[in-house]
Amino acid sequence: MILLESRNTVINDVLLDRFEKPSRMDIQFVDYDNVRFHLSTADSKTVILLSMGIQCWPDLIKYGAREHLQKEYAGLVLPPNETEPEYDVTLSIDLEKLPPTAEERSALVQKLALFKSTAMSAPFLAAFAEQAQLQSSYKEPAGAQQFELPPAESQGELKIIKYREEEAMFIQARHDRVTVIFSTVFKEETDRVYGRVFLQEFVDARRLQSLQSAPQVTYSNREPPLEIRHVPGLKNGEDWGYVTFVLFPRHFANPTQALSTIHRIQLFRDYLHYHIKCSKAYMHSRMRARVAEFLKVLNRAKPEVATAERKTASGRTFQRR
Amino acid sequence: MSNTLRPYLNAVRATLTAALTLDNFASQQVERHNKPEVEIHTSPEVLLLPLIVSRNESERVLIEPSVNSLRLSIAIKQADEIEKILCHKFTRFMMMRAEGFIILRRKPLPGYDISFLITNFHSESMLKHKLVDFIIQFMEDVDKEISEMKLSLNARARIVAESYLSTVS
Amino acid sequence: MNRQPPLVIDNGTGYTKMGFAGNSEPSFVFPTVIATHQSSSSGPTTQSTGGRAPPPVAGKPGHLASKRGIEDLDFYIGDEAVANSKTYSLHYPIRHGQIENWDHMERFWEQCIFKYLRAEPEDHYVLLTEPPLNPPENRENTAEIMFESFNVQGLYIAVQAVLALAASWTSSKVNERTLTGVVIDSGDGVTHTIPVAEGYVIGSSIKAIPIAGRDITYFVQQFLRDRGESAAIPSEDQLKVAEKIKEDYTYVCQDIVKEFKKYDADPYRYFARFAGEHSVTGRKYDLDIGYERFLAPEIFFNPEIYSSDFLTPLPEVVDTVIQTSPIDVRRGLYKNIVLSGGSTMFKDFGKRLQRDVKAIVDGRIAGSEQRSGGLIKSSGVEVNVISHKRQRYAVWYGGSLMASTPEFYNVSHSRVDYEEYGPSLVRRFSVFGSAV
Repeated sequence: MILLESRNTVINDVLLDRFEKPSRMDIQFVDYDNVRFHLSTADSKTVILLSMGIQCWPDLIKYGAREHLQKEYAGLVLPPNETEPEYDVTLSIDLEKLPPTAEERSALVQKLALFKSTAMSAPFLAAFAEQAQLQSSYKEPAGAQQFELPPAESQGELKIIKYREEEAMFIQARHDRVTVIFSTVFKEETDRVYGRVFLQEFVDARRLQSLQSAPQVTYSNREPPLEIRHVPGLKNGEDWGYVTFVLFPRHFANPTQALSTIHRIQLFRDYLHYHIKCSKAYMHSRMRARVAEFLKVLNRAKPEVATAERKTASGRTFQRR
Repeated sequence: MSNTLRPYLNAVRATLTAALTLDNFASQQVERHNKPEVEIHTSPEVLLLPLIVSRNESERVLIEPSVNSLRLSIAIKQADEIEKILCHKFTRFMMMRAEGFIILRRKPLPGYDISFLITNFHSESMLKHKLVDFIIQFMEDVDKEISEMKLSLNARARIVAESYLSTVS
Repeated sequence: MNRQPPLVIDNGTGYTKMGFAGNSEPSFVFPTVIATHQSSSSGPTTQSTGGRAPPPVAGKPGHLASKRGIEDLDFYIGDEAVANSKTYSLHYPIRHGQIENWDHMERFWEQCIFKYLRAEPEDHYVLLTEPPLNPPENRENTAEIMFESFNVQGLYIAVQAVLALAASWTSSKVNERTLTGVVIDSGDGVTHTIPVAEGYVIGSSIKAIPIAGRDITYFVQQFLRDRGESAAIPSEDQLKVAEKIKEDYTYVCQDIVKEFKKYDADPYRYFARFAGEHSVTGRKYDLDIGYERFLAPEIFFNPEIYSSDFLTPLPEVVDTVIQTSPIDVRRGLYKNIVLSGGSTMFKDFGKRLQRDVKAIVDGRIAGSEQRSGGLIKSSGVEVNVISHKRQRYAVWYGGSLMASTPEFYNVSHSRVDYEEYGPSLVRRFSVFGSAV
């Protein structure tokens, strides 16, 4: 498994099962980045409530996450006052009003399994829309303009999503691009070193011929990039790094492309950390093999003990262990 | 193999072979105790002159002989941050399993990455030249392993980055 | 910030149960198996002696990791592994409850956490289980992997039997929460009888019985074959049908002779029909289920009907286990005999066991009273067999229960501690207090 999936396996499995045979349940589970889910049947076993608690909800709601969810899960989203306490948004699925065909049902499950991704994609979509608007109103000034700073009005609002306790995501639209910046922190020395190797490769990967069309990635250690330097409360230190993705309009030209880009970008941090951990696991297995080999070499130093057959008085052989 | 490594290893091998003349020697402080003198440092008269074989600034071996024990500490080459962390990981991993490596010390001497402690009991029960072979092979392989690990880490990182970016393009 | 629920992972020999603390059922149950690419199967154990081949990578690229360098990510676990067994080779990293291949286990956990549970281990505490008498080196290796590879926030390694005891607190029959009792843990491969006193396993008295779920399935299959019923079943489905019959139709009878009479008197009432369907052709078939309905689980109580090498009935084993335990805990052990695992799920299993153990105990008391010449009267020994709703995944459920208490965070080993003491930290063993 190289890439992480966007859909949540638990939602997928449980709902597929419950759509077939409804039964009571009360399951709590999680997803990456401090997202909590609660699947339950409150009053009757044919009405399933799926609640999500997501750390950056206050940020998301500013960028229209609720409206986006309402559009995506039409008729399922419960109003804020009916949302389950301690959670941020609740969907209610009535098993008696499911679509009749199996294909439609599995499509619905697919969609529900992307609950978190859908909620998180709201700010991205908003930024994409902004970019389109800026682009249409942007007038190409005559002459070489690339040396001048773009006028202030050609910038969209800087969207800040604090998706983890210490880490945040910054999204900003320009007339010709959308910039996504992640602030990352590594809690441990090893992670930091590994992480730096990985991030450097992200920056370098674009030199490859086949990846020319990929988003441009830059990485700065300690110092936040210019775009967000004015944001208060940014930390800089040895453990901190800032990763910038520059998305060009071709990355979100059509809705499917936009969606897949969003899903990938969202999982960037998890992807990075997953692979750091896998590398550590791989190093462990290398070390295990090497240590076993060293042991073999050392054991060669032990002289072979002649295992003479011992016999008891009655003539039976025995081995001492 | 680079031309400075061979003489370096040869020097270590010769010194080690010469130093591995260990004898049973009971403690002079406590009756019926028998401790590695090089570790307890209570009788200066049984300690021999410690010796450093050094290839360059970062790679060196400290050999401390005594009448009944020998301590050998190795500083492993660490060119950059990555090698440093990999080296640390590897030696730590080995020292965690010191039980199996009878002659491995659980902690390195300060300033070194890994230490071995060979007592007369080890040299009596094991073949001396094979013990020396082990140390030399360890020194050879550890450098190789660390640079291989570093290469594979870089290779992994590249693939990971490429496969991620290829899905967003 | 809301604390993220701890992950509860119970890696058994046959199946891995995992989920989040606080739930009543594991979110995932699948075989503890890992499918790696054929050529990359060279663990350190199988390495050629002279060769200095780099460890378990190399080899032909699979379709997933078609690029050199990360072949070690090209693997499947659980059901997916079984499904891919044609192109991959299967490995079972756990044998007899203990982890044998650490390379495979580490990667197994990798996917457990990232693919199935979808949790960032840095944000979670983890509860793992271990069999009784697990060597401390294994715990150290586990801690090393969990803290160094996965950076978990905290780790607790619990003994399976103790968790099974904790799970029994859900039963209405239990009115005091104690960690003293005998756990009868019967899975697919082996049945263990484990005495536990105040949260500590009495290692010297553990007994294993070589009769478990798989044997019962074989026994049912043998019945079908003897009666000629199996002619109707397609050969590849035989085991599956036997398993289905075992799970759905069998029960434990209280008196074997009476049961036979009952069946003979009114066969139509007791014999069941089983309707099956050929998995490939869809051809329908059905067959009769006869005496195996009560005889199958009977092999626990009368092993001579199935095996010729192991002849001690389960109640007798339980009694021996308790009698070899320290005298001051025996009463507590008799009072709390707890069932755990899928093969203890037969109807009335607990009832029968309780009756038989009670009979042995009462017999012994009567004997000693008689030998004392009627001078000493015993007040009797209470024998209780607890069966409860969560029996099938009792160990996991006990873990979920424990990990959802606030006390869990105090007894588990935190990341800070690990950094200070290193892996030897997990040698220190802290038990949950019985008052949760």
